[in-house]
Amino acid sequence: MTRTKGRVMPGLTLLALCLTLVLSGRSYRHWVEFGPQQRVLTVNPKMGVHTRLTDEVEPWKIQRTLEMVRQMGAPWIVEYFLWAAHEPARGVFDWSHADLVVDHAVNQGLTVIARLGYVPEWARPPRSGHLYLDETGYDDFARFAAAFAAHFRGRVRYLIIWNEPNLSQEWGFRPVDPAGYVEMLRRVYPAVKAANPQMQVLAGALAPTLAPPGSEWGMDDLIYLQRMYEAGAAPYFDILAVHAYGWTFDPDAPASPDAVNFRRVELQRAVMERNGDAAKPVMITEGGWNDHPRWTKAVRPAQRAAYTIRAYEIALHEWPWVEALCLWAFRYPRPAATYQDYYTFVGVDFQPKPIYAAVQRYAAGEKAGVP
Amino acid sequence: MSRLIGFLRAAPPATRRLAPLLLLGAVIVAALGLAARTGLFARDRAWAHIQETGVWRVGMDPSFPPFENLDVTTGQPVGFDVDLAQAIAARWGVRVEFVGIGFDQLLDAVAAHRVHSALSALPIMPHRTREVRFSEPYIEAGLVLVAPREKAAAFPVASSQRAEPALWLAENVAGRLAVEWGSEGDALARAAQAQAAGRLQLVLRESGEAALAAVVAGEADLAIVDAITLALFNRERPALAIVGPILRSDPYAIIVPADAGELLSQVNAALAALRSDGILDELKARWLAPDAP
Repeated sequence: MTRTKGRVMPGLTLLALCLTLVLSGRSYRHWVEFGPQQRVLTVNPKMGVHTRLTDEVEPWKIQRTLEMVRQMGAPWIVEYFLWAAHEPARGVFDWSHADLVVDHAVNQGLTVIARLGYVPEWARPPRSGHLYLDETGYDDFARFAAAFAAHFRGRVRYLIIWNEPNLSQEWGFRPVDPAGYVEMLRRVYPAVKAANPQMQVLAGALAPTLAPPGSEWGMDDLIYLQRMYEAGAAPYFDILAVHAYGWTFDPDAPASPDAVNFRRVELQRAVMERNGDAAKPVMITEGGWNDHPRWTKAVRPAQRAAYTIRAYEIALHEWPWVEALCLWAFRYPRPAATYQDYYTFVGVDFQPKPIYAAVQRYAAGEKAGVP
Repeated sequence: MSRLIGFLRAAPPATRRLAPLLLLGAVIVAALGLAARTGLFARDRAWAHIQETGVWRVGMDPSFPPFENLDVTTGQPVGFDVDLAQAIAARWGVRVEFVGIGFDQLLDAVAAHRVHSALSALPIMPHRTREVRFSEPYIEAGLVLVAPREKAAAFPVASSQRAEPALWLAENVAGRLAVEWGSEGDALARAAQAQAAGRLQLVLRESGEAALAAVVAGEADLAIVDAITLALFNRERPALAIVGPILRSDPYAIIVPADAGELLSQVNAALAALRSDGILDELKARWLAPDAP
């Protein structure tokens, strides 16, 4: 009897341990209650932010972030979904983290614009970077985008294909190639539409840059967009994604081809119009101002708050072709310990910065209270 | 360990005789490995290069007066950091070559040995100490509490600071507190106000200079700003003084590559000498204010 007990007990202990691990894994998503369906109250339905939940692992922090976005009065978010994380092996999908983010966003009444990128090792040559994807991998990327579109049917309606392809570092440190990017769109667009016809495909998301012709670092965004059209991009996207950083300029500084400022968006819009694509809307998926005390492209905190509110006003009242203005970045999961920290609205510890309160008052129809 | 002893006891006599030698060999190998990891035997190629060429290449973003900016007439960098670099180089008997590098690229440039050092009003960043090393501080740029100079001596504050500056402020300060809206000082003041049971009223201004002007104008009793803003304000009109301890320290330091131990020692020795000679104070008086911390 004792000998039998001695053999059985370790087995039972192991079984109990396995059950505990399995059950705790299964209940992972339920550690945080979703609560009742929320909706965003705002005077400006175009307000949005780019969240940074890609590497936020704790469910309560994901929920708290999205709750604070909703409470600020912004109905839109852009979030980055890593291909490498969600398809760790060809044809093997893991949507657990993406489900968590999307479901909490939807629960808070937010509309998600999903940005796709970050190439898994299996889809690129050895020793290449995670932003490297040559033409041999476009069909793999298209299959992933289609799987994403199918999985999130009814929960996500907007997909951004790649990010800032006019910068060499975002194009796998290769010379930028508008025709190559259009070829990517040509493969991805029909695959996504076949999987989920309601999904709206966003293209572009170009970095505003004055890179001179032949620069090894990148290509002027206005030239790149024109080259995209010349390469036949128009049928392969529904909405143009635009990045709109203000640097040290106020949001009313006039657009100019030789300046990077907020209204440079108008020049991208002009390129669309010249190419007969004016019927398509624009979504600003990154942008805003920085208030680092030292960085040369930063402004003072009070300026940043005033400029941010004015930018939301411009999008609402002056740019009928803009559907959403999503500013970089709502909160980081941990300090970047660089000037990047001064783009945020909320600290890592969820302490709202004064700009958060000012934008929140604006969204509630009150005076912003910026000196 | 007991298993090792047991193994040795069971081993043949020849192996037992070799055991002390094997142990000694293992200790030596481990010590060499540790020394290599800590850079003990590494040649400091940055310092060697300075010695060979007679040139100290210093990275700088000349866009932050009065520490560094370009002189509009000569196009050359001028400022506190420029003079500090020249003073250090003079002690070494070498020439300074300033290399213009963007603020956000400076540490990477040092880590990659593109320059020997960076001297550009750079704070100490503990998260970067695997790639670069930071000298002893040469100036304090952190948050300070400020009062009118004539009231500073009588200001009832404790001589030592508690670990939590917001709590220290809440317990030791009362009245109207001016800050730059949205700044680090604003965040600290709001945290203190939440614990001060109504004894602190915030006076929000659009800049640090405006917060200090509010104290001078009698619109506020105190202000929280960074020490550099205060020094520059006092340069124009020395009406204000620091009271209490530094609320949140943020000193500037000189950056060298992680494997440049000799260069770091030489920089620290030069800074100590400049401090004891009074030259560092002269530079503060020239570019900031005589009592800059």
